[in-house]
Amino acid sequence: MIELRGITLTYDDGPPVLSGVDLAVDEGELVLVAGRTGVGKSTLLGVLPGLVPRFTGGTLTGDVLVDGRSVIELPPRERAHLVGYVGQDPVAGFVTDTVADELAYGMEQLGLPPATMRRRVEETLDLLGIADLRDRDLRTLSGGQQQRVAIGAVLAVHPRLLVLDEPTSALDPTAAEEVLATLTRLVHDVGLSVLLAEHRLERVVPFADRICLLTGDGGVHVGDPADVLRTSPVAPPIVELGRALGWEPLPLTVREARRRARPTLSALRPPVDVPEPPAEPDHGLSASRVTVVHGRHVAVREVDLDLPAGSVTALMGRNGAGKSSLIWALQGSRRRYAGTVAVTGPRGDRVDPARLSADERVRAVGLVPQSAADLLYLETVDDECAAADAGSVREPGTCRALLARMVPDVDGTLHPRDLSEGQRLALVLAIVLVAEPPVVLLDEPTRGLDYPAKEALAVTLADLAARGRAVLVASHDVEFVARVAGRVVVMAEGEVLSAGPVRRVLAESPSFAPQVSKIVGGGWLRVDEVVAAAAAPDRPATGEAS
Amino acid sequence: MASVSRLSRELHPLAWWGWAVGLATAASTTTNPLVLLLIVATASVVVLARRTDQPWARVFRLYLLFGVVIVVVRVFFRLLVGGAYGTTVLVELPEIPLPDWVLGIRLLGPVTQEALLGGLYDGMRLATIIICVGAANALVNPKRLLACLPAALYEVCTALVVAVTVVPQLADSVRRVRAAQRLRPSPQGRGRRHQRLRRVLVPVLEDALDRSLALAAGMDVRGYGRSGGLGRRQRLLTGALMLGGLLGIATGVYGVLDTTAPRWLAAPMLVVGVALAVAGLLSAGRRVGRTRYRRDPWRWPEWVVVASGIATAGLLTRVARDQPLLALPSPLEVPTLSVLALLGALLPLVALVAPAPPLVRTATPAPPSTSTREKVDA
Amino acid sequence: MSEVRTRAAVAVPVGRRSALVLAVASVAGLMMLVWPLLVQVEAGTRVQPPFVFLALMPVVLAVVLAELSEGGLDSRALAILGVLVAINAVLRGMGAGVAGIELVFFLLILGGRVFGAGFGFALGCLSLFASALLTAGVGPWMPYQMLVAAWVGMGAGLLPRRVSGRAEIVMLVAYGVLAAYAYGMFLNLQGWPYLLGIGIPGVDGDGLMFVPGDPLLENLRRFGVYTLVTSTSSWDTGRALTNAVAIALLGPAVLTSLRRAARRARVVRVPVDD
Repeated sequence: MIELRGITLTYDDGPPVLSGVDLAVDEGELVLVAGRTGVGKSTLLGVLPGLVPRFTGGTLTGDVLVDGRSVIELPPRERAHLVGYVGQDPVAGFVTDTVADELAYGMEQLGLPPATMRRRVEETLDLLGIADLRDRDLRTLSGGQQQRVAIGAVLAVHPRLLVLDEPTSALDPTAAEEVLATLTRLVHDVGLSVLLAEHRLERVVPFADRICLLTGDGGVHVGDPADVLRTSPVAPPIVELGRALGWEPLPLTVREARRRARPTLSALRPPVDVPEPPAEPDHGLSASRVTVVHGRHVAVREVDLDLPAGSVTALMGRNGAGKSSLIWALQGSRRRYAGTVAVTGPRGDRVDPARLSADERVRAVGLVPQSAADLLYLETVDDECAAADAGSVREPGTCRALLARMVPDVDGTLHPRDLSEGQRLALVLAIVLVAEPPVVLLDEPTRGLDYPAKEALAVTLADLAARGRAVLVASHDVEFVARVAGRVVVMAEGEVLSAGPVRRVLAESPSFAPQVSKIVGGGWLRVDEVVAAAAAPDRPATGEAS
Repeated sequence: MASVSRLSRELHPLAWWGWAVGLATAASTTTNPLVLLLIVATASVVVLARRTDQPWARVFRLYLLFGVVIVVVRVFFRLLVGGAYGTTVLVELPEIPLPDWVLGIRLLGPVTQEALLGGLYDGMRLATIIICVGAANALVNPKRLLACLPAALYEVCTALVVAVTVVPQLADSVRRVRAAQRLRPSPQGRGRRHQRLRRVLVPVLEDALDRSLALAAGMDVRGYGRSGGLGRRQRLLTGALMLGGLLGIATGVYGVLDTTAPRWLAAPMLVVGVALAVAGLLSAGRRVGRTRYRRDPWRWPEWVVVASGIATAGLLTRVARDQPLLALPSPLEVPTLSVLALLGALLPLVALVAPAPPLVRTATPAPPSTSTREKVDA
Repeated sequence: MSEVRTRAAVAVPVGRRSALVLAVASVAGLMMLVWPLLVQVEAGTRVQPPFVFLALMPVVLAVVLAELSEGGLDSRALAILGVLVAINAVLRGMGAGVAGIELVFFLLILGGRVFGAGFGFALGCLSLFASALLTAGVGPWMPYQMLVAAWVGMGAGLLPRRVSGRAEIVMLVAYGVLAAYAYGMFLNLQGWPYLLGIGIPGVDGDGLMFVPGDPLLENLRRFGVYTLVTSTSSWDTGRALTNAVAIALLGPAVLTSLRRAARRARVVRVPVDD
């Protein structure tokens, strides 16, 4: 049994990030750590392998016990055989080149005999269902495969506890399912203890034995998932629906919820969308037969896409489906192999952004790339804002005002890389928006954002659309897309699979259907619209958010 | 058992490096363009036949390109600031005088055959050395190579492994950051140029540091650098051996330099110092309680490959000694070859006895994606 | 997380034993480097360059690196070391084609400044080693380059800690210029007897050759002229200028980045409650 006792962590003179945390993880138990971003989920997880405070600074008091023996004074490397840890980005932690070598690395460090290593490598490959990847180059694996190799790499040394920090947040729904299925098997069959943090609760809650909710003041609330989620500030849509409709006991899986929903909600009339305004041909962005080629690989094949002004369109699809390539090609920086793109240029005429100079392009199409921090190069937030204002010849303070509208209280003297994910994204978006581009493209902006930060982003995007901008957002996050988008385009293998109003496209696809749609069916997407309809069952529901 | 040794596998990294260093040594003894071209050709043949399809194997082309650049730069500088040496003037260029304090440098002036070909031969020699090293780089997984270094330098090797891993990522990172920086309005006015460098350097550095810390965390939690139970006494002994060794070396150096000092302070002291230092290194290496998953074997093909490299170096060194006019040809005469030089330059082809590298599946097609497509279509 | 300014702290401290090893190794290395100025012979004997030093130097460096890594380089320091070595190797490779533009000291000095003398030593050593591997600069001169570059990094780590802000940049720029010239001079001293040959006392009095047995001042004068003519006026000045400009323009930003990494990499003792 692994136990945390009275864990308190402070950085310098600040208030404690964790204070008096007690948590015990039993054998064969999966405990989910939940809470808003910035309340210390990663910090709590890092205490177990000893990365906190040794890698982060700060002062830790309390005790960490493994089978009653204190390990708090041991550095991470001396705990390797007890606690396995997989960080947020598995690729960043890979030390070797091939799958088998990566699995063996930890055992090499422990000095195990080669024969044992060979046996355990094979066992681990089988256990995780990655035996056919044995000699593959780690960089050529898909995200879900990489995550499973990272888990296998720490499992091979047979630790008592597996600690996972957001194992599925960067993955598309299918890959996330692969990883979670593997984890459940490990917990059930091997009796491994797992402690994992995840902000996309809807994926993990059904698998959790207990939830450890960080309350935000440094304390934790540990208990049965249904109990904890009843009052939790973060909750998956399924729980929100249950709470709003007063279901008791609170359903945690789609199956349970569907059973509860059948008697009350089946009578609801399916929602009707307000018809979209007809797309005006000379506003927003229109692209036809766009093709992007990398060497011999066709990343995007003859894609037609219209982004009408005043609308938010979501771009979905698995990792590697060509979403990023398409976005960069629409923006004009990446060379198109074929096809045309037209946007309203800086002088008000329709132009191909690829033909503009870099500075003109910034004013025609704004793009927030996947690693948004690449745009930042100065030492404080204020400097970044000032540089953006000066670059676009705007009033000083424009960028700061844009930022304040998205996230109100950001300390301007902070280093941009010390901001939270949500704040940093807002800063980059503000810098991009200073140039007032009529078209805004965002590549996976929801990565690492919690529910409130996603909500803030959704409000921002709706606001942009209301101001007449055309917005395209690529995302894996079904719930976010359901909340924010009017239209959805689904890509696979570089081609468009389906496109149309969000209600139709999401409802059609089992892997992209939001939880509400799985429970209630019939084109329902969001908790608020179901609740509103349930409150007034006679009135035909509309697609407008209440 | 020849067949077993030659079964498809990666040759021991040190064997390839020994071979390549032999070639480079051979190239450094001569400026004969024919010999140099032959060495480049043999190295290229071996690389093409025995490299893997891993990313580092693709760098050989870059080394060849780099060699060409070196030759061009050498010749260019020879002509730019060559000074007037040689008498066989090919072209008269106007001379640009420089102020006196730039001692002995003048720009342009007459282009002589001596300067032109001298620069060319000289550049070719350096280019060949570099291409030989490039061959080793293309044939050897750098991480496997670093795993061969002594255990006491384990940590240092790890830093180098990180460095080797980071270099290709840096290129990737630079490309990404440059693209991203073009997404924001560029600063106007004064200092634009230095801003431009900074706009790339700072995000790349931050990115690289972030990654390295993530890598360090990943290594640490997986047990990297566990103390192999080295006790206090062992540590003391290690420290004493190392310090003693260094003191011995320092004294020995002094003894060698001051001929009036007693003779036992010179060579004997150096030997004692080095012995102690090596003992200290071995003792320090014992703290690393690490095992290897798959050890690189050293069999007869390894010996043959290394021997061919050394033999090449030996043969061409002999050519340089016995046939100096062939090894260092005058820029005014047509370079020639001898049987010995030809043999020396072609000998590295023996390395083709090395087993063919295993096929590493780097780019197998992604797992069938039809399932998703069906799901989405459904 | 509150913003911490750790101007004074050294990220990777050097233990007493490591400091001793560093000192002895530096003395031994210095003697091998400046041997022409130390050598004492009777007049009239022919002196061969002590080739044995070329073999000794790697042993000395290996011992120092082993000691440093045993004494104080944990995995975080190692990872940062690796990254800086990689960037340095690339910077050096970039400069290799252009006369006098050598950026290798820029990051070396900033790294030594932030992470301390021991780290600076290792960074200097490994940067030169890695770039030699990458750009094929491997040769008998390499251990000497490694040693002198290591001193440059170590020196940057030994500069006064209290200086901060603009004064710190000025100090580092001045140090960078000094280090660039010193580096050139030391390496010239190493190459001088090999390149020009060794004179025979009483015969070669006029040239720039090293003449063993001649008065120290006389040899120093010859070396001074030699180094001034061959490099101080051209290569070294180029190196000094590029480094000074790079530190002045990019120093503040890079120092901030490195200090952020250093801050995260700081070890704090973990007290136990029970």
